[in-house]
Amino acid sequence: MSTAFNDPIRAYIVREFLAGEDAEDLTDDFDLIESTVVNSLGLVRLISWISETYRIPVDDIPLEPAAYRTLADIRDFVGKAAPAAPATV
Amino acid sequence: MPSPRLLRAISRHAQDQPDRTALVSAGRRVSYAELERLTARAAAELDGAAFGSVRALCVPAHKSAETVALLLAAWRRGINTLVPSPALGAAALSTLTAQAHGPLTAVAVPGGGVTLSREETDPALADGFSAPDPEESLLTLTTSGSTGVPKLVPVRVEAFDRFADWATAKFGLDGDTRALSFSPLNFDLALLDVWTVLEAGGTVVLADAGASGDAGYLRDLTQANGVTLVQGVPLLHRLLAADDARYPAVRTVVFTGEAVSEQGLRDTFAACPAARFHNVFGCTETNDSFVLDIDPDAYAHPLSIGDPIEGTDAVLLIEGAGGTEVLEGPGTGELLVHTPFQTCGYLEQARNAQAFMPDPRGGGAMFYRTGDLVHRDADGRHFLQGRADFQVKVRGVRTNTLEVETVLGAHPDVVEAAVVALPCPEAGTRLHAEVVRRDGTSLSSLGLRAYAAKHLPRHAVPSSVGLAGTPLPKTPTGKPDRKSILSTRLNGVSS
Repeated sequence: MSTAFNDPIRAYIVREFLAGEDAEDLTDDFDLIESTVVNSLGLVRLISWISETYRIPVDDIPLEPAAYRTLADIRDFVGKAAPAAPATV
Repeated sequence: MPSPRLLRAISRHAQDQPDRTALVSAGRRVSYAELERLTARAAAELDGAAFGSVRALCVPAHKSAETVALLLAAWRRGINTLVPSPALGAAALSTLTAQAHGPLTAVAVPGGGVTLSREETDPALADGFSAPDPEESLLTLTTSGSTGVPKLVPVRVEAFDRFADWATAKFGLDGDTRALSFSPLNFDLALLDVWTVLEAGGTVVLADAGASGDAGYLRDLTQANGVTLVQGVPLLHRLLAADDARYPAVRTVVFTGEAVSEQGLRDTFAACPAARFHNVFGCTETNDSFVLDIDPDAYAHPLSIGDPIEGTDAVLLIEGAGGTEVLEGPGTGELLVHTPFQTCGYLEQARNAQAFMPDPRGGGAMFYRTGDLVHRDADGRHFLQGRADFQVKVRGVRTNTLEVETVLGAHPDVVEAAVVALPCPEAGTRLHAEVVRRDGTSLSSLGLRAYAAKHLPRHAVPSSVGLAGTPLPKTPTGKPDRKSILSTRLNGVSS
């Protein structure tokens, strides 16, 4: 998994949900849902951002939180659904 | 609160044990004989002031032997003293003085003597405020008010005597008691650790107001003076227990003001191996109302607030179908208390109708509405849940920010935590936590959130966390200054 591909998702999470906080501990397997870093309102924002950034139709995006539990989960999903690199970040 | 009985007791100590130390202040020992001399001098200066008959006097609570003597002198002359914080701003002080019908201010001069000043204030400011009656009360305390001007709470003479009787018996006070006075003289805590101890003929060790956050200073002061009684907010006990300090002379430890953490309890047990431990619960309006004796070998955390003090009546009020009603059995409601020590009411008459009400079960006793949410369990034990006004709604769910603080504070790497509610366009309100982590630990905000998520319902997990290595801003009582934290967050200044 290249860093270039990795960074935008992590950067988005840090920017949107951890503004101004130390994010060193945000490892690929940190549970975003359980820790409430991403709550139900945040999940809607996250899905919308994934859809726009990676040009994935919202209909193709699973809505259950389990799909977005960790950075690794999100990256896996985006990698499968959007083989092309993101247009813009 | 002093009362004529207190004054007689101190005069008696000056005769019977003139060389015994009454006060330790700024490194100086003041014997009962010297306290008597300082008091006589202050009284003479009050007599000599050409202000005519004085019934009320403002005495800013500078923490010194001279201020103690000045207060005793004023009481001896039958004058009610308003004792505001010396840190109060000039405008608030001026308003307070006017509200207390006392244009005169007296400041104790180091070494003895008094500086008197008279301020012309707008008499309209006293409209709606009762004049303190020295026959009924010699001391008017202040409590923090949400508007910036404190509320004026007269302490009745006989209420002080009853409190002194209770405290003397409960904590075994006598001539050998040496009390650390940590809180400012304007706090109700001084009723125990200054005035009741002096009545008992003991020694009061005045901690310098400016050094009250300095663990090394407090440790040296407490150890060097062989302090036997320590009363204060959890912050004080934490400072004393820092660096594994030990206080073999301490016989009585009193926690008050805020819930103490389990780690704080254990540290204090270790620091004071020969002490008995108590938690007292109360407020300025009623003085102490509940007391819990804590057995270091058999206690359950969180601590209950204990049992009503003898003579105290307590009920929990809830919102029922037909309006407010008294809760019978287990449940959570607002605590209403009637204590033998309570005030006759705020000087501001309009406040009393909201704050005091007759016994809701019928009868004439006046009960004070504490605003505290208290849970009573099936065994009849009472637990403080927080302030009624610490309730916020996060995504529509009623949330108590004090409970969230308690949970965060229980993390082993957290020294202290404060939680404030911030406006949020999505959730209406969201919680922000300011947390101080223990030196040398690697606690991160993500780690703390994961911890909070394990111990709290989701809506109560703070959505942002600020980690600091320096102590949180404090109110003069040593509690986290949540207003200041809130305003820092709202104004976008990073803390």
